[in-house]
Amino acid sequence: MMEGPLLKINDLRTYFYSRSKQAFIRSVDGVRLEVRKGETLGIVGESGSGKSVTALSVMGLVTGGPGVITGSIEFMTNSDRKNLLDGLQDFVEITQENGRIMSVKKDVIGWERRSEEIMQGIRGGEISMIFQNPKAALNPFMTVGGQITEAIMLHTGIKDRKEAEERAVYWLKRVKIDSPRLRFGNYPYGLSGGMCQRAMIAMALASEPDLLIADEPTTGLDATIQSKIVDLLLELKHELGTTTMLISHDISIISRLSDSVAVMYGGTVVETGPAKDILSSSTSSKHPYTAALLASIPDDYHIREKIPLQAIEGDVLDTINIPPGCRFYGRCNRVTEKIRKRCESEEPDLREIAVGRNVRCWLYYE
Amino acid sequence: MPGGKLVFLRFDYRVEVFDRYPKHMPKTILEVIDLKKYFTQRRRLFSAFKSDIRTIPAVDGVSFYLKENETVGLVGESGCGKTTIGKTILRLENPTSGRVIFDGKDITAMSREELRRLRSRMQMIFQDLDAALNPKMRIKDILREAIRVHHDVSDEEVDKRISELLEQVNLKKSKLSNFPHELSGGEKRRVGVARVLSVGAKFIVADEPTSALDVSIQAQVVNLLRDLQDQLGLSYLFISHDLRVVELISHKVAVMYLGKIVEMGLSSKIAHAPRHPYTHILWSSLVEKQSRESSSAAKNVQSGIWGVFDFERPYSGCRFAPRCPVFESKGRPAVCTDPQSEPKLIDVGSGHQVACHFPL
Repeated sequence: MMEGPLLKINDLRTYFYSRSKQAFIRSVDGVRLEVRKGETLGIVGESGSGKSVTALSVMGLVTGGPGVITGSIEFMTNSDRKNLLDGLQDFVEITQENGRIMSVKKDVIGWERRSEEIMQGIRGGEISMIFQNPKAALNPFMTVGGQITEAIMLHTGIKDRKEAEERAVYWLKRVKIDSPRLRFGNYPYGLSGGMCQRAMIAMALASEPDLLIADEPTTGLDATIQSKIVDLLLELKHELGTTTMLISHDISIISRLSDSVAVMYGGTVVETGPAKDILSSSTSSKHPYTAALLASIPDDYHIREKIPLQAIEGDVLDTINIPPGCRFYGRCNRVTEKIRKRCESEEPDLREIAVGRNVRCWLYYE
Repeated sequence: MPGGKLVFLRFDYRVEVFDRYPKHMPKTILEVIDLKKYFTQRRRLFSAFKSDIRTIPAVDGVSFYLKENETVGLVGESGCGKTTIGKTILRLENPTSGRVIFDGKDITAMSREELRRLRSRMQMIFQDLDAALNPKMRIKDILREAIRVHHDVSDEEVDKRISELLEQVNLKKSKLSNFPHELSGGEKRRVGVARVLSVGAKFIVADEPTSALDVSIQAQVVNLLRDLQDQLGLSYLFISHDLRVVELISHKVAVMYLGKIVEMGLSSKIAHAPRHPYTHILWSSLVEKQSRESSSAAKNVQSGIWGVFDFERPYSGCRFAPRCPVFESKGRPAVCTDPQSEPKLIDVGSGHQVACHFPL
């Protein structure tokens, strides 16, 4: 048996450079995550909190232009640990000032070549991904079946075309597409949004990945279709036990599918732990952001009593000008006089408060 | 809900509204009668023949009314004609047939000049504010233009009005000189609301005002819309596919399926005691609900074929029948597919209307 987590992200930083603003957009800024084998990790957070960029960094899809990735992404491949960012630092020259990146010189071509070298065979094979917008992610010039067949022939042992096609039909059936043989020859435009998403899931699973990354798999689908896709994912989770990293801003979906949860805010993880602890309304020891996020969802009580929702004041963090101190300080409603100074000036670390529970907040430092 | 009045509420919905705003009888501000909007599409680039033109019935005979100070929610899947209804009511689209009576006047027969004057009282908050706010204008100019189009006022008054608006929608004054792309999603939404209020609108069609917003920002916008309704006595037609938000903000809810209203009634009734199978499926498909109950009760009703509906296919009878679990469980009764008997909206008590042969 293998020991240790399947995927271990340590201090991941992914910055983009905005030319018009002459500044770095710090989309992901020090993310620490672990995905254990067989579990589903849900990542929640508002838009712009860096969920998707984390996923794209793992997939090695942040390459072009002046994007910078530092830190390490360790992935277990056949009992062999591999850093997916290994050697990439040779192609960038980073000038730092007080721990902040001030300027970057990058050999884009060398960087991309190196990144492709590492990711070949892993991307699509050992790690595969379900994208947010299935209609845009599927190739419009290829039939759905053709695309799945291609994935199978590239990433599994099946090299015979006929056999691969049979396998593709099997996967289409597996994700509950009606008359899979007929749909095999359809182009993506001929399928509805829900069907496209099913085809997308079939394609991601067809290569039998060790890690599946699902980036907002139900966003943009109608409520009825959404629940069908969640049902499907739940069923596949029980049957196949694929290790999954599920990204969504919809807490109800996360709470249904995941075993453990990481809450992201402004490019960092503010809280991790078992899903039932973090997403239940009962446990009091939570990061103020998680608590506020849960409170802002309309529930039966609000609807019945017609009382106003508890909104989080202020706006999502601007990842260009990240203030010193805690990232959530400006919107936080649980700052006490005792810790105010610290909140303002010093950033807390992700600290373990109970077994498997980590919170990034000064409140829990006593 | 005041306890003593419960008896009345069960008989007539109007009593509740009356109860909440006891100063005056709420009058009907908008009445929509058998509204139809068909879009036509040429099959080929140069088709001139009638047979080559296909008709898409986006809105197919919709009737409802809206009282002052009331919110009617409009829900349904994408493509069922929600937005088209909103646009047709404000005559941003010309209806194919039917009448829209706003404040006693039939707006379907109005001239452009009359309409222009009326638009100061009815407005729309658009779904995609990236498209609805001019990217080359500063926020200040966007609001100023809206005021100037409808009211002949001096510069100082415009400035005064703008600062009032900012306070109402809770937007920082420093944002006035920004361009729309510099604002966040929630702020853009606030500008959209401010612009609608700036002309003095009393009736507002809010088209998916909370979609594409994060939950924390969504809560801000929902609270804002409700506060404004209480302060200014606004009426909303609230179009959304987010069932929880609709349930929260609306007094009445209309459920649409393929261009028709299939059920209409008090929001609590629609959410907790639906009579139409489609409404039942919609509400039971809420993911969080399933996770909590996880009982099979809701799942049993959910069956049928869930494909995209093809508008081209000729209807025969009830348009929900192909997806309907009741239709299946009753052994496909002929009345459901009989072309002569499409179910009509029938009152099933206390103002609750259902268009189904076999209401639940």
